[in-house]
Amino acid sequence: MQSLDELRRVIRRIETRRPPHPAAPPAHEVLGGEVVETGAGPLLVVRREYPLTHIHGRQPLAPAFAAPLALLSAVARAAAPARDPRGLLFLDTEATGLAGGTGTYAFLVGVGHLDGDRVVVAQYFMRDFDEEPALLAALVPLLEQAAGVVTFNGSGFDLPLLETRFVLARRRWPALLPHLDLLRPARRVFTVRCADCRLTTLEREVIGLEREDDVPGALIPALYFDFLRSRRAAPLARVFDHNRHDVLSLVALLGWFGRALAAHDHLGAEDLAGLGRLWEPVDLERALACYRAALTADLAGPAAHRVRLRLARWEKRAARWDAACALWEAARDHDAFDREPWEEIAKFHEHRRRDLPAARAIVAQALEVADTAGAAPRVLDAFTHRLSRLERRLRRHR
Amino acid sequence: MLGELLDDLLTSPSTGPCITATRHFAPRPPVLVPFPPSLDPRIADALRARGIHELYSHQAQSWELIEKGHHVVVVTPTASGKTLCYNLPALQALLLQPDARVLYLFPTKALAQDQLAELEALAKTLPEMRMFTYDGDTPQDARRAVRARANLVLTNPDMLHSGILPHHTKWATLFQNLRYVVIDELHAYRGVFGSHLANLLRRLHRICRHYGSAPQFIMASATIANPGELARRLVGEHVEEIAESGAPTGDKTFICYNPPVVNPDLGIRAPYLGEAAKLAIRLLRARIATIVFAQSRLATEVLLTSIKNGVADKTGDSGIVRGYRGGYLPTRRRAVEKGLREGEVLGVVSTNALELGVDIGHLDVAVLAGYPGAIASLWQQAGRAGRRSGSSAAIFVATSAPLDQFMVTHPEYLFGTPPEHARVNPDNPFILVNHLKCAAFELPIGPGAAGGEIEKFGDVDVRRFLAALEDEGVLHHAGSRWHWAAETYPADHVSLRTVTSDNFVVIDTGARDATQTKRRQIIAEVDWGSAFATIHPKAIYLVESEPYEVQELCWREDEEKVAYVKRVQVDYFTDAISAKGVWILQRLADQAHPVYLAEQGEVLVAEKVVGFKKIKMGTLENVGSGEVELPQQEMQTTAAWLTVTPEALARVSASREELIDGLRAVTYLLHHLAPIFLLCDIRDVGSWLGDTTPAEPGAVATRESTKRRLMSAERFNPTIYLYDSHAGGIGLAERLFEILPDLLRRGLETLHACPCRFGCPSCVGPVNEVGRKAKATAQGLLRTLVG
Repeated sequence: MQSLDELRRVIRRIETRRPPHPAAPPAHEVLGGEVVETGAGPLLVVRREYPLTHIHGRQPLAPAFAAPLALLSAVARAAAPARDPRGLLFLDTEATGLAGGTGTYAFLVGVGHLDGDRVVVAQYFMRDFDEEPALLAALVPLLEQAAGVVTFNGSGFDLPLLETRFVLARRRWPALLPHLDLLRPARRVFTVRCADCRLTTLEREVIGLEREDDVPGALIPALYFDFLRSRRAAPLARVFDHNRHDVLSLVALLGWFGRALAAHDHLGAEDLAGLGRLWEPVDLERALACYRAALTADLAGPAAHRVRLRLARWEKRAARWDAACALWEAARDHDAFDREPWEEIAKFHEHRRRDLPAARAIVAQALEVADTAGAAPRVLDAFTHRLSRLERRLRRHR
Repeated sequence: MLGELLDDLLTSPSTGPCITATRHFAPRPPVLVPFPPSLDPRIADALRARGIHELYSHQAQSWELIEKGHHVVVVTPTASGKTLCYNLPALQALLLQPDARVLYLFPTKALAQDQLAELEALAKTLPEMRMFTYDGDTPQDARRAVRARANLVLTNPDMLHSGILPHHTKWATLFQNLRYVVIDELHAYRGVFGSHLANLLRRLHRICRHYGSAPQFIMASATIANPGELARRLVGEHVEEIAESGAPTGDKTFICYNPPVVNPDLGIRAPYLGEAAKLAIRLLRARIATIVFAQSRLATEVLLTSIKNGVADKTGDSGIVRGYRGGYLPTRRRAVEKGLREGEVLGVVSTNALELGVDIGHLDVAVLAGYPGAIASLWQQAGRAGRRSGSSAAIFVATSAPLDQFMVTHPEYLFGTPPEHARVNPDNPFILVNHLKCAAFELPIGPGAAGGEIEKFGDVDVRRFLAALEDEGVLHHAGSRWHWAAETYPADHVSLRTVTSDNFVVIDTGARDATQTKRRQIIAEVDWGSAFATIHPKAIYLVESEPYEVQELCWREDEEKVAYVKRVQVDYFTDAISAKGVWILQRLADQAHPVYLAEQGEVLVAEKVVGFKKIKMGTLENVGSGEVELPQQEMQTTAAWLTVTPEALARVSASREELIDGLRAVTYLLHHLAPIFLLCDIRDVGSWLGDTTPAEPGAVATRESTKRRLMSAERFNPTIYLYDSHAGGIGLAERLFEILPDLLRRGLETLHACPCRFGCPSCVGPVNEVGRKAKATAQGLLRTLVG
């Protein structure tokens, strides 16, 4: 609205306007759900069930409910470890925007949980803003009974959003509920393999699911606003599908982590390297075993280089010099130029073996290779500096 | 030292005759009262530890009124201990009620930092108080801690607007327990900024109501005519006013200085900037700490250049004089403030940016280069020199503008007039609608908790606005309430400092880092409204008196708003030439006088920068010009206008050309005198001599082409427009309409008093612009109009 004129024109238009909206078929019929009474008003709930044997992409759902939660919480640095994986709630919200703040609503909340031998995905949907109290009321018993919540980027988005909604509605937010945000472990594990850590990328690369006709997340708020004005629910069906897929992918992803932590024989080289990163803060020996296995499985490229150096650092710290040297030499010989392996080998010769001529030879060679590789001036300078120092020491020894 | 120098000024033959008035203000002893019995003994001890054993009377009075539960506004001069008026109740509340929360609002981040330091010094011996600033400078990772821990938060309206209210659930504890809201520098919230603040406080009230709190407001203001009224308009509730200061003042001399006439025929006086610079240089060479206030960005830079040159002659060190204005980046400003406090910087040239209470220590003399547009600002700026004891002085150097000449030749007016009214218009539709969006984002708008009527926003029934916003697609009505229904974050699109919000950044394309690699360096920011006139292509833009030439200005809608500039060596600056047009959209009020019709209403103002003049530094002569291709800026605003009847015009002169020149002269005069009646800057008002039946709407014209059209028009209906320069109006036009008869009378007085023969910048404008008969015609016109 740019001017007073426009404002007046709009006001005039509204005041002469007829009641809108020809009757559209009710949302519960179009979306295949039922309207339930929550105690805070009616709410549309769409429920789907899947047997535990259901395969999502290439991943079965069952392993999620046997995942070693204590271990997962530890590697994910979650505050409080959840108890029984069978009591977990897999949660994903669709919101009216990404801006955050009190004017952003969670209009659709999808939750998955185990019920006997079936996985139930229930989607709670407010057909208009005045149904928000009902939506929040429906979430309360679910959250209270859950052993923990599993999300993807829930710490950054879904949970603060729900917390804001709860506080606004003057409801107590269960702040102490154990929460496992799979984004954190995913970042550690899959950066080796995947270009980014978005859920859709992981679905494709890890879970093996290609979504068909998926609605882009960026369009979702607009689809909901269209529905509010037109009351036509059909275009929202794709939003419900999208949300349901997200919830199932959470289950599948947790299952993947559970299996990978239990045993890693089935994993490829890149995942082994990633898994090593996950184990590192919790169990160093298992992390190193993963790194070694990744290298044995012919990990290649920059990922292999990083694993070699990482592993070498730990071997050095444990004074396993032969192993460390072998890794540095491999890094030196197989990968693109990097100063670290050269320096480490030189330091090894100088300080451990006290073989100054060998150290000098390494540094001289490093300087040559660095120069050919077009290394930065400060790298060349560092090697030159090291070389002249070694030569001084050699002269003194003679 | 200072005394001798002032004596010399008054008596020397070169400066003595320029001094039109001297007023001596004798020191005044303090009015002290004992600490109130209800003051917590721990606070009393803390005060004694800082050497305070009694309170000034106004501090005790505000304590008493606050204790009774009133909102208060304290209106006392600079350095009268206003801050204790709010710090004492705040600290007491935090001491006695561990849950209580207090919110401080300052117009700038720097003031919040200052006040935090002062609070911390006072609270040193008290139990832990948990006081934090929360603003754009607070690191992201510290924000959560501040929200969780702080029970006293110091922030600014902009942060409250975009960072706190839209996230109020994260601040739930604060809003549930909000005991006091402190607003310092209340007088700064006038015009656009004040109209925004009033709406922001309406939003704050809603959020407090939601959480069940009803905070008390404690406000402090510099001297203005209507602090109580302003506070009531802003807060929306009754406010008690405390105006009697009990603080002592030092001995102070106020001098009015009118630059000498150098060309009596043309009525031309020596350039005021040069005179102000000379005075400042004399003071600085005598190592007297001096602040020079300039009235514009450009004047600041011009003054700074000549003062630096003048000072460097003698001491070889021009670094002791620095510039200070809004467009400078914060780090640069902090460095100048620190330098002043610690004495490394002896002199500063500033815009009104330093008028507010930023702590810059004690200065001896304030030189006011030009009338700051308002009596209130005049005293505020003068108050920057000298604090509670010792002698100090303020020197007002008049420009040749009519307003300044009126003031400098009527010192009784200057010293005797109460300060102006601060005006706000919280119901400006543009401002209101924007805040309504933000309010809906924060909490759906609907009936109160008790049901019934839909809530009002202030006193405004907003149902029609809500419907309009729903139609626009950002609100959605559900149940009985309007909800925010868009993906955007509305506060991001509303700037509190302007009616519209785009800012330009100025980027130095020549900037290099330590390794000589090019880097992107922003050297200043310019608001949308003044961008085309100050950073058009080829404009010379000055930053700390370093000239930069604008190479490219990116202003299109889909572009980042940037001006790319390059450091140049030139001896001129640029002054934009613009074409303009005013069209009446709606008449809201009229008043028929025997010889003229005064009307008030809404107008469309179109303006376009078409070229620029190059003006030589120092001599200020015109040394060239250029053309620029820029878009036309249009704005709907409020205006008052005046149309003289054809019979009355005929009585004054038979020549249309003479009448046009005379009316233009009157327009110039009225525009320049209008700020006397409105607490506003001259730039807050625009003027134009046009026609009530103009050509096609939107076609702008320069002065020359307008004149030609008026000359050949079939019906001669020239109209003088005085309009509010802020889109939608901030209440200036309504006031102008009311005071128009007084304004005309004052104009006639000014013309009579002006000694020039044919018109000069001090009355109707320079003779070479208005014509040789303009002054006489203007006098005839005004005599007829005043009746």
